[in-house]
Amino acid sequence: MSRLLSNIRQWWATLFRSILNELRLSWRDKGVVIFFLALPILYPVVYTLIYNPEVVTDLPMAVVDHSRTADSRELVRRIDATQYIGIAGYASSLQEAKEWAKERRVYAILEIPSDYSRRLGRHEQAVLPLYTDMSLLLRYRSILFALTDLQLQLGADIRAKALDLTPAAFVEGPQENVKAAGTQSFFLGDPTQGFASFIMVGLVVLILQQSLVLGVLMLGGGSRERRRANGGIDPLWVDGPITAQVLGQAIALFFIYMPLTIYILHFVPVMFSLPHVGNPFDYLMFIAPLLLASAFFGRALSFMVTERESCFPVFVFTSVLFLFLSGLTWPRSAMNPLWGTVSCLIPASWGVEGFVTIDANGGTLTDAATPYYMLWVLAGAYFIIACYVERFVRAYDRRLVVR
Amino acid sequence: MRQAIIDGLRQLVGRPLYILVMVVVPLLTGWFLLDLMEEGLPLRTPTAIVDLDHTSTSRRTARNLAAGELVDVQYTPETYHDAMRLLRQGKIYGFFMIPADFERNAVEGKETTITYYVNLSYFVPGSLSFKSFKQTAVTTAGGVMMATLKSAGASDRTLATMAQPVVTQNHPIGNPWMNYSIYLSNSFMPCLLQLIIFQITAFSILQEIKRGTSRQWLAAGGGSIVRAVLGKLIPQFCIFALVGICMLSMLYGYSQFPVNGSFMGMVAAMLLLVAASQAFALFIVAVIPNLRFALSVLSLVGILAFSVAGFSFPVEQMYGAVGIFSFMLPIRYYFLIYINTALNGYELFYCRWDFVALILFMALPFTMLWKLRRYCANPVYIP
Repeated sequence: MSRLLSNIRQWWATLFRSILNELRLSWRDKGVVIFFLALPILYPVVYTLIYNPEVVTDLPMAVVDHSRTADSRELVRRIDATQYIGIAGYASSLQEAKEWAKERRVYAILEIPSDYSRRLGRHEQAVLPLYTDMSLLLRYRSILFALTDLQLQLGADIRAKALDLTPAAFVEGPQENVKAAGTQSFFLGDPTQGFASFIMVGLVVLILQQSLVLGVLMLGGGSRERRRANGGIDPLWVDGPITAQVLGQAIALFFIYMPLTIYILHFVPVMFSLPHVGNPFDYLMFIAPLLLASAFFGRALSFMVTERESCFPVFVFTSVLFLFLSGLTWPRSAMNPLWGTVSCLIPASWGVEGFVTIDANGGTLTDAATPYYMLWVLAGAYFIIACYVERFVRAYDRRLVVR
Repeated sequence: MRQAIIDGLRQLVGRPLYILVMVVVPLLTGWFLLDLMEEGLPLRTPTAIVDLDHTSTSRRTARNLAAGELVDVQYTPETYHDAMRLLRQGKIYGFFMIPADFERNAVEGKETTITYYVNLSYFVPGSLSFKSFKQTAVTTAGGVMMATLKSAGASDRTLATMAQPVVTQNHPIGNPWMNYSIYLSNSFMPCLLQLIIFQITAFSILQEIKRGTSRQWLAAGGGSIVRAVLGKLIPQFCIFALVGICMLSMLYGYSQFPVNGSFMGMVAAMLLLVAASQAFALFIVAVIPNLRFALSVLSLVGILAFSVAGFSFPVEQMYGAVGIFSFMLPIRYYFLIYINTALNGYELFYCRWDFVALILFMALPFTMLWKLRRYCANPVYIP
């Protein structure tokens, strides 16, 4: 009984000592301080600055006007007036316009056929060939949006004019009847359709996870270097049960990350007026298991990093993988079973999903219940794995030294 | 020189980390990207329809919507609130709502509105369901309009063109399928290679300073820093060039992505990208001869390259002070060459300056190698 009590006492003592020790180690290590402070502070700002113009405006377009009529000029004026497209100039032939495209002076070519005006006058359908550059989907999307809207608007105008010449004009209020069935669209999350407003909400969660994991890996690599140099024992380590040590480190990192999380999740969106409609209590409660899960996840990966600096080549590239696995660009519902499963194992995937629900869509913690529970499950699972990995790594390093 | 190259090779095979990161990581990630987005577009986006009308017209509209390949109507909630909750939770990416008394109002000529809601927090599925919804909504409203006009006495000939008097006939050059993978994999895979080249170049050279073996390394190169550096970089170039060509064959051979221009031009661009990235990393290494610091800077630049090189958001639309950084990266020039050559099929002549820029990168490190030499002669490891 007394042995059990002393074991419990030792466990708690180890926990407290490793929390303090971890805070000290992180603070003294310049490389780790960069990951824990500079990265979360600067990265979101740099990223938002890149994407902050939000929408593509005045995309240069060439016009090849074979019609040369008042109608065709009116069409071109209307296109130029849209937010998305700016007319770069009239080309004399399709060949010349293509030359401009090759020199990257225009990203789209509109050809107005010679019978454009005649067809409108005859109430026939006029067809406008449009050639678009497909290098960036954002450009293509902007051109398409602008021209689809214009096409509908132009159609309504021409229709109204044409109807005046038909028997329908004598019937009471045909114009109102035409508008009888309307359509209306509403956007959730990113109503401005801006690029920064779309990507930053999820990206900040990924930045939190990646900086935390990189820091943990670097601490782990440093500790393994010390162990190899000191006969299998790290002199800066607190002795005691492994579970208490692993948990202690995570709690210490959790403390370090609390102010940073508030900065990233609250102040960054405020600075750049990104979508930010969540309740602070909800999203902070939600993000807590993400921080713990990331810390344990990093610890579980520490077997791959044998020295401080190798965490860069071993881990940095995963940011690209995790971005895709998070479902931000390619929806998780469309992944095949293999990648869908892998995606479920990454804390940031659930983090992004739940955080978007709360902060961009204005949901509550209840709306994000599934991701929230999954983050706790991952935190628990990675904690257990981290403890086993830690035991294995220590034994491995000791064997290496003895040999 | 031969000795330097042999030493460089010995370093690469001496640790599993090198081959793992240089070969396995880029090829595995490339396969991941291609396999993930194999369908081209995320088809069958989960959506919902709220039918408050419950008439034959509204059911026909619902069937029309469900017949599209872009959306998959998975839920039919009874109220707006239920649908909104599903949308917020991220279970659906949008929903379509037919108002109560839609059919009656439409026939009577009273105003009635079809509404649709889209979650643009997820850009691609959001935009795709938006497209599908808009099409269905406009067609339905158009059908109602035609019926009204016909009853008012408009002739059939007028009606036939009345729905859409002007249409644009779209020709998306190079990617008519609007394949998302063509657009992303072609830029992300080489950019990942650039990131790895940055890291491995710095890691392999500054490892010598960390371990305090840089004097021997310099001596093996006959005291010349250029020879010593080349001894490390030439074997790495060969491996990376092979990996790069493997990537090209994955993109254009295995996945059959379009190469409308010169394939040899793409191979040349890839080889130049590898060399230019090595040169860029070597320059940073010479400016900051500290393993951790140089790796931090290069990783930062390598990851930011995915955004600042303008793969998704056009560089000319960025703030000038931000956009200018894209031109300091080798991948930007490779990307421009890829667009002109592989995607659009234009002649190589039009990207001559991009090739020149890639070649110029190779001159960059020679301005700072003297500093690296000084640090190698007196190695100090700062953790």
